[in-house]
Amino acid sequence: MSAHTAAGIPLTRRQRRLTRSAWRQPLAVIGLSIASVWLAIAALAPLIAPTDPILQESGRFLAPSAEHLMGTDGLGRDVLSRVLYGARISIPLAFMLVGLSVTVGATLGAAAGYVGGWLEEAVMRVVDLVFAFPPIILAMAVVAALGPDLRNAVLAIVVVSWPSYARVTRSLVLSLRSSEYVAASRLLGVSSARALVREVLPNVAGPVLVLATLELGNAVLLLSGLSFLGLGAVPPSPEWGAMVSEGARTFNFWWIGAFPGLAILTVVLAFNFLGDSLRDALDPQTSRAVRERAL
Amino acid sequence: MLSRFVARRFAAAVALAFGVVLVAFLLTNLVPGDPAAANLGQRAIEDPDAVAAFRRQYGLDQPLPVQFGRYLTNLLTGDLGRSQQTNRPVRTDLAEFGPASAELALTATAISLVLGIGLGTLAAVRRDGPIDQALRVVSLGGVSVPLFWLALIALYLLSFRLSLFPGAGRLGPGAPRPPSVTGMYTVDAALAGDWATFRSALGHVLLPAMVLAAYTIGLLTRFTRSSVLEVLGNDYVRAAHAKGLPVRLVVRRHVMRAALVPIITVVGTAFASLLAGTVLVEQIFSWPGIGSYAYRSATTLDLPAIMGVSLFVALVYIFVNFVVDVLYGVIDPRIRAS
Repeated sequence: MSAHTAAGIPLTRRQRRLTRSAWRQPLAVIGLSIASVWLAIAALAPLIAPTDPILQESGRFLAPSAEHLMGTDGLGRDVLSRVLYGARISIPLAFMLVGLSVTVGATLGAAAGYVGGWLEEAVMRVVDLVFAFPPIILAMAVVAALGPDLRNAVLAIVVVSWPSYARVTRSLVLSLRSSEYVAASRLLGVSSARALVREVLPNVAGPVLVLATLELGNAVLLLSGLSFLGLGAVPPSPEWGAMVSEGARTFNFWWIGAFPGLAILTVVLAFNFLGDSLRDALDPQTSRAVRERAL
Repeated sequence: MLSRFVARRFAAAVALAFGVVLVAFLLTNLVPGDPAAANLGQRAIEDPDAVAAFRRQYGLDQPLPVQFGRYLTNLLTGDLGRSQQTNRPVRTDLAEFGPASAELALTATAISLVLGIGLGTLAAVRRDGPIDQALRVVSLGGVSVPLFWLALIALYLLSFRLSLFPGAGRLGPGAPRPPSVTGMYTVDAALAGDWATFRSALGHVLLPAMVLAAYTIGLLTRFTRSSVLEVLGNDYVRAAHAKGLPVRLVVRRHVMRAALVPIITVVGTAFASLLAGTVLVEQIFSWPGIGSYAYRSATTLDLPAIMGVSLFVALVYIFVNFVVDVLYGVIDPRIRAS
């Protein structure tokens, strides 16, 4: 393997280290490939899907065949088309969910760790409180209270996922705040807010990125779980969890539930392969905080 | 020293439980939806007198702190409200459905502990070898699989198609319901000495428990692996190797003893996630536990029942974690000091 990019520019030592460890990690490559395929499917679904996902055109409960590779469901809709279109719901929402949770969690966690005092106390007590509920249970209660639809499901998942980021960010900020180089920059007259942004946050980014990648998978699982419970996407929409729930009601026609579930599994597996490899590739010492939280 | 440690832990658990109750209260009361609108029929809503009467009857015209006080007193007397779906007190429902879920979650906990600790130790001992790599994929698969889908596939393939396991439900058609002591059929049948029923109950709980355990097996395998690896690096383990002890003996006598202590801390989390997982698994297996109850409540938007289940699961979780914390402190005195 050459240590040069296609353009012939030598890689920096850091880049070289990352690429090398990526090749030593087949799981990272597999994860990235599956994730890319799903991203492409999400982008191109209207072009590659055989039919409209909510079109009730063919016979009902048709077994998989050359014409309908994944069969048709109880309303005569093509399961393959629905699975492909489902990627347009789950995958963008997963990224949005993680983006929102990182923003809320990292901001509150960094503020708690850096400012300390009552703010830290308040944020961390709320974090403890959220952790007192298993995620799917709290999310279920929140959606049920707000009313079942996709927007409230998203809100509920953000409510249950931000504390992980807050906890990790806070502990990293705490350990960095007392480090010598931050003290040195403060002595040089850098303001406290500036020191946080310039010196502390870049060091927080790695572990938060690892956590975020792993949480992408969890976001997909939670969202499909809520939809399975009837608290997420509403019926005609080709959401994977809702499709498995439909498959459970039409038990004998295995293909109705089997394929959408397989889609969830492969997407989540890809994100987890990536996150797990990323965790190994980054500094093992900082990844410990993440590992503890992942449990 | 120990009693002070236990008291401190207990106070923390009570504070957390209070917070959980507050969350449940806020969720039921501060939501945009008007409970009167949700519970009264269309015609009653247009009648201001009926709405006012409803609000008065449920204390909704009182200020929030007063309402919370009432909510808390009701809870302390065990009143969780009435389920709209079963038209019974939520407490009665939980008491009826709880044991079935406990049986399922406890069986799943046992399965995850045995498999998770076993596979995790194997992975650590064979670090970076092909077995370790394969187990990494297996454990990541466990935390990635949607449980409700795994339940569907397992029931269809292993039970319906291949008949390796009995079908849905808690007992076979011929087996009589054992006399109720704990409500867990396996235990009750064993207590009654009815081994045919015991076998039927055990056969029925096995497949849903294995499905439910998939996630925690994955978690425990990863956690055990890193915990064992940490111990393997210690000098005294190297010394044991150096004096020529067989690997099996070193692992069993020196490594596991130290590595198992931190594993205790995740058992509480594992049990809670198993209890929560019943919401996604039980319905598929027609398992009449709180998971199926929560599923039906969620699909019919039966708010008192949903809140009852959430509170129940969260309080069990807090309790289990309290017990685990105390156990951990008893086993490892260093924890008490910190």
